[in-house]
Amino acid sequence: MIAQEQKPMEEILGYLEGKQKVVVMGCGGCATFYHTGDKKAVGEMAEKLRKEGKDVFKIVLPFSFQACDIEKSGVWLEKNREELENRDAVLLMSCGDGVQVVTEYTDEKMSITKPIIPANDALGLVGGGPKKFKETCLSCGMCELGKTAGICPLTSCGKGLMNGPCGGVRVDDKCEIDEEKDCAWVKIYKRMEKLGELDKFIEMRDPHEWSKAKRPRLFEIEEPVGMDMIGAGLGMLTYKLGPKPKLEE
Amino acid sequence: MGDEVYSQMVKELKDGKYVFTGELEPEKAGDVNEPIEMARELVGLVTACNVTDNPQSMAYVSSLAASYQIQKETGMECVYQLRCADRNRMALLSDVLGAGVLGLKNILALAGDHVSLGDTPDAKPVFDLDSTTLIAMIRKVVDEGKDLGGNEIHNPPKLHVGGAAAPGAAYLQAEVAKVKRKINVGAEYLQTQVVYYTDVLDKFFNELGKVDVPILVGIFPARTFGQADFFDKNVAGVDVPPAYLENMKATKAIKDKEKKKEEVDRVNIEFFTGFLEHLKGTPAAGCHMMAVGYPRIIAPLKKVIE
Ligand code: SF4
Ligand code: SF4
Repeated sequence: MIAQEQKPMEEILGYLEGKQKVVVMGCGGCATFYHTGDKKAVGEMAEKLRKEGKDVFKIVLPFSFQACDIEKSGVWLEKNREELENRDAVLLMSCGDGVQVVTEYTDEKMSITKPIIPANDALGLVGGGPKKFKETCLSCGMCELGKTAGICPLTSCGKGLMNGPCGGVRVDDKCEIDEEKDCAWVKIYKRMEKLGELDKFIEMRDPHEWSKAKRPRLFEIEEPVGMDMIGAGLGMLTYKLGPKPKLEE
Repeated sequence: MGDEVYSQMVKELKDGKYVFTGELEPEKAGDVNEPIEMARELVGLVTACNVTDNPQSMAYVSSLAASYQIQKETGMECVYQLRCADRNRMALLSDVLGAGVLGLKNILALAGDHVSLGDTPDAKPVFDLDSTTLIAMIRKVVDEGKDLGGNEIHNPPKLHVGGAAAPGAAYLQAEVAKVKRKINVGAEYLQTQVVYYTDVLDKFFNELGKVDVPILVGIFPARTFGQADFFDKNVAGVDVPPAYLENMKATKAIKDKEKKKEEVDRVNIEFFTGFLEHLKGTPAAGCHMMAVGYPRIIAPLKKVIE
């Protein structure tokens, strides 16, 4: 998931200066997860903007309908074409991906060109939960986890070193850059030790191939995914009735 | 080490001489007058001087330019420090080739502190290579005349590359494994981060076992309490002993300048004599004296070992 937090209101109001009639649109994906684009967040944002004297129209995307998935968010955009046409700006409460997908769609497919303003700052691809999350992958295009005992050197090491640790590891094996974070390379060492792979640790890993991440990367699949309602229902049942994972408080 | 010898420092290390190196720090300035002055004072006292590259991620005069100028004006052989924090592999290669052109003979390959710790924290950190891959790259350039992509280098530079080690690392096994990795890919010498405690040093040498590259152990006699305190607080992976810090702090109260100098020297000599005497009995091939801006302390400390 893409972690995110809301921008400071001051910055948002700066972008909306001189724009009286505003659409506030949410996202039913990651932004719902992080309370930055769910129904409640959209409602609260609308309230704040009204207090600033704005005329606000809300578009809420239901849970699991992401702004970045245009097949779904497009339905809500088309449904609200008139509002989009008549308003000065859209404040999009999603990550930057959602903002850009909606911008491109409204521009090119709806012929409506409006400022689409980000309400959130995206903080990376994270895993974990239900409350604590950790950035674990940069989507670098050439996964190195097979060489590093399953711990990402590019993301989890503060310097992104392929051959750590650096000389700055702190007491309790914390990272030079931030004493709250563990040194990834000490973790890699300990995990390789348990796996009996310390010989691999001492081997040099080649520099990472950044040519695999020429930006922007384009991607295509042959078959678009269908909505599997039965699968989703069965999944929900298992989630409710199955064994509970051990979760961090 | 390979068979070729390009620098005085490596020559003396190969000959089994006990080698002393110093440290010079270019600053945020449009000249390198200060390090040049200091280098002049160190000629004859140390074999070579490291020239720092944006230490603690402060953006200073380029270490390449400073190394060249210092070497040219004073004859002091420089160990050009080169860190991965600010340059991608192309810029690193350009600078290595440039170092050859400018007549530099030793490089110390470093990852470098993270840019967020310095005076330009919003800079984009690079770390395209790390210290190990930088050492490997330099050896490939020098020995095979090829860059990382295998492209031919015409008239490749002739210089040596070394690496750093951190004997005081919090997780010593991982640090030692990394040091061995650096040796395996061709580091020709090691200079350690500052060490203050003899037991830290012994543990490091024990864990490392016998290796066939010379190791110069780093010490940091501070010229002022402020310097020692800054080091304690800001240098990643180093803790300055509290008793030494206390004694240095006490010198702050001395009004008379000359007396203060004498007392600072006394504190340093007292503290480091024990350490250096112990160092003589370790496998260290020499001592890297990072007495930045403090050349007068080198001679009395050298005496302890000689
Ligand atoms: S190496 Fe790291 S950033 Fe790259 S794909 Fe694997 S986990 Fe993601
Ligand atoms: S302390 Fe560890 S995680 Fe942090 S930058 Fe150094 S090697 Fe990477």
